[in-house]
Amino acid sequence: MSQNKNASPLIWGATALGALGVLGSYVAAGHERFWANWVLWFVLLFTLGLGSLFIVALEHLVSAKWSVPVRRIPERLATLLLPAVPVGLIALGALPVLYPGTRPEAAHHPILAGKAFWLSIPFFSVRTLVAFALCMLGLAVLVGGSLKQDATKDPAFNFRARKFAPAFMAIFALVITLIAFDWISGLTPEWYSDIFGVYVFAGAFLSGLAATALCVLYLQDQNRLEGVRGDHLYNLGGFLFAFTVFWSYIGFAQYMLMWYANLPDEVIYYKVRLAGSWRAITICLATLHFVIPFFALVTRDAKKDPKRLRRVAFLMLGAHVLDMYWLIFPVLGTKPHFSWPELSFALFFIGGILLWIRGAMQKGEDMPVGDPFLREGLEFRL
Amino acid sequence: MPETSYSVLGIFETPDALMKAIPKARAAKLGEVEAYTPYPIHGIDDALGHRKSPLGGMVLVMGILGAITAFGFQYWISAIDYPIITGGKAANSWEAFIPIMFEVTVLFATFTAGLGMLFLLNKLPFFGHPVLSSKSITGITRDRYALAIEAEDESFDSAAAAQTLKDAGAIEVEILPAPDRSPFLTSNFILRALGGIFTACVVAGLAMFFLTKWFPLLAPMKYMQDQPRLNAQKASTFFKDGHGMQQPVAGTVARGFLPTATGTQEEAASLVNPLPRTKEVFAEGRKVYVNRCEVCHGSLGNGVGSLTAAYGGKPANLQSQMFREYPDGKIYWAIVNGKNAMPSHAPYLSENERWAVVHYVRALQRAQNAKDEDLKVVAP
Repeated sequence: MSQNKNASPLIWGATALGALGVLGSYVAAGHERFWANWVLWFVLLFTLGLGSLFIVALEHLVSAKWSVPVRRIPERLATLLLPAVPVGLIALGALPVLYPGTRPEAAHHPILAGKAFWLSIPFFSVRTLVAFALCMLGLAVLVGGSLKQDATKDPAFNFRARKFAPAFMAIFALVITLIAFDWISGLTPEWYSDIFGVYVFAGAFLSGLAATALCVLYLQDQNRLEGVRGDHLYNLGGFLFAFTVFWSYIGFAQYMLMWYANLPDEVIYYKVRLAGSWRAITICLATLHFVIPFFALVTRDAKKDPKRLRRVAFLMLGAHVLDMYWLIFPVLGTKPHFSWPELSFALFFIGGILLWIRGAMQKGEDMPVGDPFLREGLEFRL
Repeated sequence: MPETSYSVLGIFETPDALMKAIPKARAAKLGEVEAYTPYPIHGIDDALGHRKSPLGGMVLVMGILGAITAFGFQYWISAIDYPIITGGKAANSWEAFIPIMFEVTVLFATFTAGLGMLFLLNKLPFFGHPVLSSKSITGITRDRYALAIEAEDESFDSAAAAQTLKDAGAIEVEILPAPDRSPFLTSNFILRALGGIFTACVVAGLAMFFLTKWFPLLAPMKYMQDQPRLNAQKASTFFKDGHGMQQPVAGTVARGFLPTATGTQEEAASLVNPLPRTKEVFAEGRKVYVNRCEVCHGSLGNGVGSLTAAYGGKPANLQSQMFREYPDGKIYWAIVNGKNAMPSHAPYLSENERWAVVHYVRALQRAQNAKDEDLKVVAP
């Protein structure tokens, strides 16, 4: 714990420095760039929180027992959806700046005119608010109920969660699709891809998994997860491994169909991302998001190895940031932007997320001690 | 092969007793220790100290090999052996190869996993296993836990092994004979196997024959055959004009047919022939000249072709002073745009063919007006 106390001022300092840079970038770096950064970090924060909530809901949906001992971690990570709400409300300021569908000239655009109502600022904002409200509902039922169970030890929560989980899956699909289509795909409203929501889901789930794995390993180092062993890590690693493949499958399927059909309004999306410096970033993304994690986790022992898992989880989070950057930043132009504004945003938001998680980690129990399946989960062996 | 491999089997009543006995049996170092239990027991792999199964590595290697094989096949077919431009894509488009590479990777990997497990690791042709001949085998599949010390060579001390197992708490010890590995491909077996395969083929073939004969409407996969489609040179109701074949979009240019000499002939004079003067280029130019130019311009390029008399016109005499002094670009321009009565040849000749024929015309002119030093070049 002594190491933690030393780290805390460092995180606060980095966050404060980042905040200064964020303010500075609003003044000095141009509004478009500021808002692109803000939207990027809103999406990252939101996908991390929602991906973690998905892990919790998935456990209840399939009545998984192995994940009960580590469930408190995605539950805590899911509370990142709370700060995501104000961040998202501020991000609404990006609508007139970055989103072509909200501009008055869109009414005369042959494609956008038909989508004018859907893309208009009022309806866009309403959809985002609905998505937030649905997330809060999921958070209250799944995470709030679980925290209460610590004290009450009432197994009724498990039955309630099991009934709620299927409904939440439908809610989750709606929310992640809305956020993906509105906030990311909405930057290029002439372009559309049916599978885009699934692509963003794969990234969100991966980021939730990677963060969960990192926090599990962190708590294990502090001996706070007594009984969680390689078998549990193996399942987390297996999920990470499987979903890197899923992510690349969806990403490539989307690319290949557009590449084959070669329709101008579809292929422009990749044309931008395969030209100039973006090409290098695309190759980096495929390597970091698929090739390296695939071969790093392919063997059975690798998925149990804490050292290996920690590195891959770090890499996965970085790759998710790069993935969202790759989706959002081409809106600023054909050249990738990366300098002090991006670094400041990264410092500010990563620092903020770390502080939030640290705060959450220090409250309450590290395991859902009221869950009747905890013992069965701890006895899980491969 | 000397039949020395046999094992000593100790029977235990509980999984705990078995787990406790494993380290003792291993410490005796008499032979390979193996356990047989009715269901998997957690931690038994580590306790037995078996080395990791090589199957995962085999699958990985074969999977990668499958990916490379699929890529190689497709690359060779579509880029080297029979390149056809489809959908305007380059012949060696890796994107199009990926789905098949994926399938073949999975095919190689699963076959390796299945067959490697059965044949390489479980030695399939031998159906038996020594433990099956144990008199306790029904117990081992139900509620008994067996530990075997298996012989590794002829110096195996079965008495010591039996004693070790007894000391470790076995309620019963049994010495198993060597597995029966007598040749299993007997002529009887081969005949029966072939007979079985033959009968299966005959039955399946007859069944298919009569099924399709008596129930012709049950063609299982006819949707693809019967779907509406556009045929070249045939009418169709799909398009407004009623034709199955459509004109390309205005401004469409085929590969290698880019119109480069669109200005006046004087402007084209500065174009430089991009092709080298090699044997292949001259051969190509000759082929094009014979097919497209010779009937009018004549085999010598002197404007006396076989069509001249019938058609009554006066094709250009390419051997005249004027044409000999033409720059390459102006000849090229004439091929692309046509000149006087000569129509444009741009629709028939690709960029390379046009320039090749320019080279050939130059060769024709030079042949009729050879200089003395031309003789020297031929020498070696």
